[in-house]
Amino acid sequence: MTSSDFENAPEILSVGRALPPHYADQETLIAALREEWVEQHYNLDRLEELHRAVQVSGRYLALPIAEYAALGSFAKRNEAWRRVAAELGESAIRSALRAAGLSPGDVDALFFVTVTGISTPSLDATLVNRLGLRPDVKRTPIFGLGCVAGAAGVARASDYLRSFRDQVSVLLSVELCSLTLQRKDLSVANMVASGLFGDGAAAVALAGARRHDSPRGPRVVAARSVFYPDTERVMGWEVIDGGFKIVLSAKVPQLVMQNIRRDVDSFLGAQGLDRTRIAHWIAHTGGPKVLQAFESALELPAQSLERSWRSLSETGNLSSASVLFVLGEFLEASAARPDDYGLLLAMGPGFCSELVLLRW
Amino acid sequence: MAHSTQEVLAEIRRIAKDELQLDRSVQGSDELIQDLQLDSLGLTILAVGLEDRFRIRLTEEDSARVSTVADLASLVASRASGAQP
Repeated sequence: MTSSDFENAPEILSVGRALPPHYADQETLIAALREEWVEQHYNLDRLEELHRAVQVSGRYLALPIAEYAALGSFAKRNEAWRRVAAELGESAIRSALRAAGLSPGDVDALFFVTVTGISTPSLDATLVNRLGLRPDVKRTPIFGLGCVAGAAGVARASDYLRSFRDQVSVLLSVELCSLTLQRKDLSVANMVASGLFGDGAAAVALAGARRHDSPRGPRVVAARSVFYPDTERVMGWEVIDGGFKIVLSAKVPQLVMQNIRRDVDSFLGAQGLDRTRIAHWIAHTGGPKVLQAFESALELPAQSLERSWRSLSETGNLSSASVLFVLGEFLEASAARPDDYGLLLAMGPGFCSELVLLRW
Repeated sequence: MAHSTQEVLAEIRRIAKDELQLDRSVQGSDELIQDLQLDSLGLTILAVGLEDRFRIRLTEEDSARVSTVADLASLVASRASGAQP
């Protein structure tokens, strides 16, 4: 990497985060689901085993627990998604802009990622109105990348700023996973998902190289997408009358173990780097097995993923928003020094991974 | 209600194909961990499928004495018949 690559790289200015107000600890959630599933599963102790194994202590929910029973249809779930996603999305973007010292009128491009609800016009249109963004703001809604979309969104919002170097882009991720829970789905994948996934929103404000006078945040110096052929059934949604039904294979940690080291080494090698040069690892909180697979395959020093583990425990897996929560906490801690490198990474449906190289 | 070992074996094969997406045939002599390469989640998927289908409970202690598909089929058939091996 040359110094001009660094000088021309977009900067991450800030991360805003928003969680819904309805917190439930894991025991409360287990009790609610036990009641629901008692007549369907013969051995409900499995539910507790699986929910404890994911190492999540609680989740923030889009709605109060009592209101989930009435969400039978896709229409009702999605209507709740539209309402809550607009509130959380607005809050996350306002928080990111405030931290960056920007106003809504400064935003030139808005990238919106989600996999938990749909609308046309997309949610970003609602947010243009609610936030008072400019009429010429460029909107790019991205649906379907799932957990990888936080990292991929940072990469795409940065790609944009390499062409428009005096502009500001905002990436918004809103994921309300609790609204997708299919109560009649008796699969183990659904039992795991019901214990693992939570709700939240995160927004990242980025500026092109000609926009930032005195950079403070990390530069996005390079990114790489890696697609794994013929793995479409590893993770995703099956769309049914009631909404989105989880597809989650037990093969996910195995895929991480088989691929991530080779892919990271190849990506870093192309930048003239190796893993020993990465001071900060900002990993998607896929779940305990995924984090262990990252640690093992990448031979990470102890505590490297401590923020990811903590985030997993505090909020669960927030799908695409998770890695942005970890990034936000990292930036707030001011733990990086000038010239440090960081790698932000996530994996998701496709199956695929996204690697984003940061430099301070 | 009594179930034969063959019935349990057929259900294990169904779970392996439909829920675990194993792309190989499953034999009684296959080791669950070494040959079928099931990790803890894979084993749980198999256990839940058998528990729900045959209305039995499988415990942590059971896993210590089950190593092959045939061991598992035999244990489940026996437990479903009301015996407590």
